[in-house]
Amino acid sequence: MSPSSITCSRFAIIAAAAVLLQSLGLSLFIFGFFPTKPALSGVSGPESFRAPWPNGVGNDSAAALPPEELKRLYQELSEISPPFDRLILMVVDGLPAEFVLGRDDKPPREAFVEAMPYTQSLLANGFAVGYHAKAAPPTVTMPCLKAMVSGAIGGFLDVALNFNTQALQDDNIIGQFFRTGRKMVMHGDDTWLKLFPGSFIRHDGVSSFFVKDTVQVDQNVSRHLDEELCRDDWDLLILHYLGLDHVGHLGGRNSFLMGPKLKEMDEVIEMIHQSSLRDKKNHQTGTLLVIVSDHGMTESGNHGGSSFEETDSLAVFVDLGDHTLDHASATDNSANQIDIAATVALLFNVPIPKNNIGVVIPHALNFMTDAEKMRALELNSWQLLRLLQAQLSGLPCEHVLVEENTGDTKSVVTECGGNIEQVFCCLYQNAAVLHRSWKFKRIFVSNIEDYKSAAAAYYVFLRTASQWLARRMTDKPVGLLVVGISAMILSCLIFLGLVFHLNEALYVREDHQISSLKKYAFSWHLDEIFLMGATLIHVISMGSSSMVEEEQYIWYFVSSTFYLLLIRKTAQTILADRTQSSVGLSLSLNGKISYPIISLFSVLVSGRILRAWHQGGINWVNLPDISKWLKLAGHEYVKRLWLLACLSVIILSIYVLIFLWTRRKMVLVVGFSFFIPGLMVLKYIISHEDDTSGSFTYSYGSTVSAQKIYRVLGALTVVAVVAVPWLIHIWTSKACSNGDICLSTSGSHDILKLPPLMEMRDSFYVIGWAYIFCWCLLQLLLQQPTNSLPVLLLLVQIYASMLHSFSALPAHKHWIEVAALYQLGMAGHFALGNSNSLATIDVAGAFIGASDFSMLSSGVLMFIITYASPLLFLLSMPMWISVKDFNCLVTLRNANLGDLLKMMLGFPCVIPLCLNSVTLTAYTIILLLMRNHLFIWSVFSPKYLYVAAATVCVYLGVFIIASTGTYIYLVTFIGKDKIRSFNGGMR
Amino acid sequence: MGETRKKTKPKASDDEASATGGLASPHAFSLHLACGLSLAAALWIAGAGGESVDLVSDPSRTLRLVWVIECPIAILLYSLARERPAQTSYIRAVVRGALALPAGAMVNALGAIALGAPVGTQYLAKTINWSLVMSTWIVVPAACVFGASWNSWQRIFAFTKPISSIDFMICLPAHGAIIGAWFGAWPMPLDWERPWQEWPICVSYGAMIGYLVGMVASLGFILLRHGHDHVKID
Repeated sequence: MSPSSITCSRFAIIAAAAVLLQSLGLSLFIFGFFPTKPALSGVSGPESFRAPWPNGVGNDSAAALPPEELKRLYQELSEISPPFDRLILMVVDGLPAEFVLGRDDKPPREAFVEAMPYTQSLLANGFAVGYHAKAAPPTVTMPCLKAMVSGAIGGFLDVALNFNTQALQDDNIIGQFFRTGRKMVMHGDDTWLKLFPGSFIRHDGVSSFFVKDTVQVDQNVSRHLDEELCRDDWDLLILHYLGLDHVGHLGGRNSFLMGPKLKEMDEVIEMIHQSSLRDKKNHQTGTLLVIVSDHGMTESGNHGGSSFEETDSLAVFVDLGDHTLDHASATDNSANQIDIAATVALLFNVPIPKNNIGVVIPHALNFMTDAEKMRALELNSWQLLRLLQAQLSGLPCEHVLVEENTGDTKSVVTECGGNIEQVFCCLYQNAAVLHRSWKFKRIFVSNIEDYKSAAAAYYVFLRTASQWLARRMTDKPVGLLVVGISAMILSCLIFLGLVFHLNEALYVREDHQISSLKKYAFSWHLDEIFLMGATLIHVISMGSSSMVEEEQYIWYFVSSTFYLLLIRKTAQTILADRTQSSVGLSLSLNGKISYPIISLFSVLVSGRILRAWHQGGINWVNLPDISKWLKLAGHEYVKRLWLLACLSVIILSIYVLIFLWTRRKMVLVVGFSFFIPGLMVLKYIISHEDDTSGSFTYSYGSTVSAQKIYRVLGALTVVAVVAVPWLIHIWTSKACSNGDICLSTSGSHDILKLPPLMEMRDSFYVIGWAYIFCWCLLQLLLQQPTNSLPVLLLLVQIYASMLHSFSALPAHKHWIEVAALYQLGMAGHFALGNSNSLATIDVAGAFIGASDFSMLSSGVLMFIITYASPLLFLLSMPMWISVKDFNCLVTLRNANLGDLLKMMLGFPCVIPLCLNSVTLTAYTIILLLMRNHLFIWSVFSPKYLYVAAATVCVYLGVFIIASTGTYIYLVTFIGKDKIRSFNGGMR
Repeated sequence: MGETRKKTKPKASDDEASATGGLASPHAFSLHLACGLSLAAALWIAGAGGESVDLVSDPSRTLRLVWVIECPIAILLYSLARERPAQTSYIRAVVRGALALPAGAMVNALGAIALGAPVGTQYLAKTINWSLVMSTWIVVPAACVFGASWNSWQRIFAFTKPISSIDFMICLPAHGAIIGAWFGAWPMPLDWERPWQEWPICVSYGAMIGYLVGMVASLGFILLRHGHDHVKID
C-alpha cells in the first residue's frame, strides 16, 4: 500500500501537471464559450452595392478616391436618391421606449404623456415613427452605442475586458460618414469622443462621472443647440443627453425629477423640429432627426442586465422635411437596436457596415419610392449574404440564380427546407425572383400586390438570416467546450486524489505505534463534515442567479459557523481540563486553553465587523453599512481611521515579529528594515489630499511617493526572501559553535529542536511575516481609504488563526486549517466591497502611482486590489507552515527530507488548488447548463470571470508558497553533512 | 484520565437517575406535550385570541408571547425532573431556570449576531425576544435539570452524547432548534421579496420546526430505550 511511495518530486510534478491541465481546460472553455469578434475584417466599400458573387464587374479602386468622389460614387451605385442630406442623432441616455410608446398596446403613463406633448403630437400626426428598439445585453452605454453604429452585437469578453474606452475598430456608420467627407459635430457624452477620436469637427464632451448632476450635464449640450441649428456646415449632429440616466440612477423610474427631465427633452425635440421647419426652404432636401436611447432602466433606475425594462430602448424617426409618413399606429413597432445602423446607412447612401446583422426598419423606408425600397432591401440582403458566406463556406446561391427565369412567379416561389444553406438560398432566391418579376411587370403596370409579396419575401430572408447570425454570435463550438470541461474535471480529480494521499500519508504510517492518532485520523469530525457540506452547498447555490448575486452571504455564514463549531470543539477540551483541575491538577492549564478561545473569538468578532463594512451584492446594496456611513461622515474621519489602521498594522506586525525574540539579531534587522516602508505609507496617508472633487488627478508628489513605496516594498520583500534563510543558517551555526543553546520559541517537542528543522521553521516564520506585512502596507496604499480598517481586521484574523493553529490542542487536521484560511480569504474578498458584478471593481485605485497610462500596470494593480484578501491568506501560508506542528513526520524512522518537504508544502499548496478546482469545475458546468438563462450575460458570465481570476490568484499564491518553501529547504539543507547530521539526529 | 472520569460520572448519575430523572415514557410524553401545547397556545393566542398578530406581521410581540407563556411551564415541569433531587430543592431548580433564561438569551443573541443577524435599534426588540425564545427551548431545560453540573452540560452540548431519557429530552429538541434556526436563515438573502424573509421570522420558523422534530425524535428514542430495557429485564 505504502502511500508514501509518491516521492516529493513526483508529487510536485503531478500537481504541476494538474495545474497545467486545468489552465488549458479553462482557456479552451473561455475561448469556446464567450462569443468572439465578428467574422469579417475591414470596411464595406463600393462592392457592397454589387451582388456578392464574382460574376459582377469587379475591381474596386475606391480606397484611393477622395471623400467627395467616393460619396458621389456610392450615390451612383446605390441607385437611391438620398431622401435626406443631414442627420441629427439625438441620444437620450437610459430612456425606456415605454415612456414614449407605452407597452403592449397600452399608452404610456399619463404623467409621461403630459411631459412630452410635442413628441406625442408628432407621433400621433404621423410626422414620426417610434420603435421599441431592443438592445442586446449588457445594457451599458458603450456596447449599446457600438451596436447602434455598427449593427453588430459585441462579444462579452470584448465588453468585460475593455475597461478603458478605446476607438471602435469595426466598420460602422460614423466611419462611413467620415470617409464620405461628411462633417460631424458631437455634443454630450464623451464616450463618443473615445470611440471616434478625431472624427468630429466640433465637440463638447461631458463626462458621465458626476451621476448626481442632472441639470448641468444637459445644459452643457443644449447651450450649443441654437448655434448649431443655425449653422449649415455639418451633415451629422450627435446630441447625447445623459441627464435622464442620472435621474434614473438617483431616483428610479418614478423619480420626481423624471417628469421635468422628459419635458426638457421634449423641448429640445420641439426646438429642433421648429427650427428645421423654418429652415426648410433653404435646404433642397430635408433633415432627419433620429431620437434613440442606448438602453432602458429598471424600476430602480439601474441597467446592465437583460430584463425587458433594461433592453427596451427607443428609436424614433422624425422627418423634418415634407415627407409624410403613413404610419401612425403603433401596431408593429418592435425592432432591434442593431437595425438602426443599416437603416441610417441606406437612408444616407453609405455602404452598410460589414458586420451588420440588423435589418432595415420597414417604415423608415417610406421616405423612398417603391423601386428604391426594393433596392434598399436588396442591398441589405446582399450585405447579410456576404456575412453568411463567411460563416457558411460555399453558400451555393450563385448557380441557382443563374438558371432562374423571369417568367411565371408562382411556379418559382418554393417552400424552403433542407439544411441551413439551402434554406437561406431558397429564401433569398424567392425574394430575388419576386423582385425581378415585379421589376419586369412594372414596365407595363404598377402592381401593388407584387410589390408587397416581394418586400415580404425579402423580409423573411432578412429576418431569418439576422436571427441566425445573432444566434451564431452566441453559438458554442461543442468540441472545445467538452475538451475544456473534461480537462478541468480530470485536474479536479487529480487534486482530490493528491489531498487524500496527503491525509493518508500524514497519519497512516503511524498505525502500529499510536493507535489513537490513527483513530483520530480516520474518524470524521463535525468540522470536516461541515466544511465538505459547505463546499457542496456553495457549489449547488451557484446554480441560482440570486445566490450568485448574493454569494457573500454564503461565505460569511459558512465561515462564522465554522468558527462557532471550532469553539464547540475547543469547549470539549476546556471542560475536560476543568474536571482535571477540580481533581487537583494545576490551574495553569486554563491559561494555556485561553489562547485558542480568545483567538477564535477575535476571528469571529473581526469577521462580523468585516461583514458589516460593505453591504455587498445586488439586491440589498442600498441598505446602510459602515462604509457608506463613513463616506457621509466626511474625509476627515476616514483619514483618521486610515492613519489608525496603518499604525495598528505596523504595531501589530512588529509585536508578532517579536515572538521570535530568541533570534534577536534577526528580529532587529528585519524589524527595522521593514519599519521604513511602514513610515513611508504613514507619510503618504498624512499627505493625502481629499479628492472628493472627483477629478481623480493625483498630485505629482503623491504619485512619486507611491512609486517609491512600490519599489521599496518590492525590493525589501525580495531581499528578505533571498537573505533570511542564509542569515538564519549562518547565525545558527555560529551560535551553535559558540556553545549556545540552539532554541527556538516555536516547538516544544524535543525532536523539533533539531537545528535544521528549527532553521526552516524560523525562516518560514520571518518570510511569511514579511509577505503579510508588505501585502498589508500595499493594500493600505491602494485600497479606498474607507477600506483601511478592514485590511487591519483581515490581518487580525490571520494572526488569530495562526495563534489558534499554534495553541489548539488537540491540533486540528492540517487540511481543515488550510481550508479555513481559504474560507476567511473568500469572505474577506467580499468584505472589501467586491461582488460578482463587474461594477464593483475599483478602477480608480488602479491609477495610484501611475504617471502615464499603461494597460498592463493598471491591470496588475486592479488585480492586486480586487484579490487583496484571498492573496493575503495565501501569502500567510509560510507562517502557517512554521507554526504548525509537523513533529509526527519527523519521529518516523524512515523519514527522508523529501517527505518532510512534501508534507510541509503539500497542504498549503494543494488544498487551495483543490477547493478552487472544485468551484471552478462545478461552476463551468453550471455556466454551460445555464447558457440559455435570461441572466447569462448579466449574472453568470461576470461571475465566471471572477472565478477564472480567482483561479489565477490561487496559482500565483501557490507558486509563491512553493518556490519560497523549496528555496528555504535548499538553503537549509545545503551540503551533505547537514543531511547526515539530520539523519543522525533522527536515530 | 479525563476519558475514564467521563465514563464513570454518567454512570453514577444514571444510577441516581433510575430513581429520579429517568423518566418513564408517559412522563416524557406529557412533558413534551405540555411544552408543545404551550407553544401552540401562545401562537393561537397571538393569532386568534385578541392580539391578532402572527410571526410575520409582528414577530417581536408574537415571540414575546411564546416565551412568556412557554417559559414558566418549561421551568416548572423540567425542575420536577432535576438531577439529584435529594441535594437540590425544587425551588432551587426553578430559580436556576429563571436565571438561565437571560443568560442563555445573551449567548444565543451573540451567536446569532456572529452569524450575521442585523444589529440596529429597529432590530433590538426582535433580537431580544427571539433569543429569549431560543433560550427557553435550549438553555432553560438544561439549567433546570443539570444546574451547574459542567459534565452534563459538556456531555449534552459539546459532545452531543445523551445517555438517559432526560438527556435525550433536553439534547434533541435543543439541537433541533439550533439546526433548524441555522437552516432557517438560508432564504433570508434571496430576492423573493416575501415578508417572512425578514430577520428573525424565517429563523424562528426553522427553529420551531427543528424543536418540534427534536421533541418527536427524543420521544422515539426514549420508547426505543425502554423497549430495550424491558427486554433486558426480562
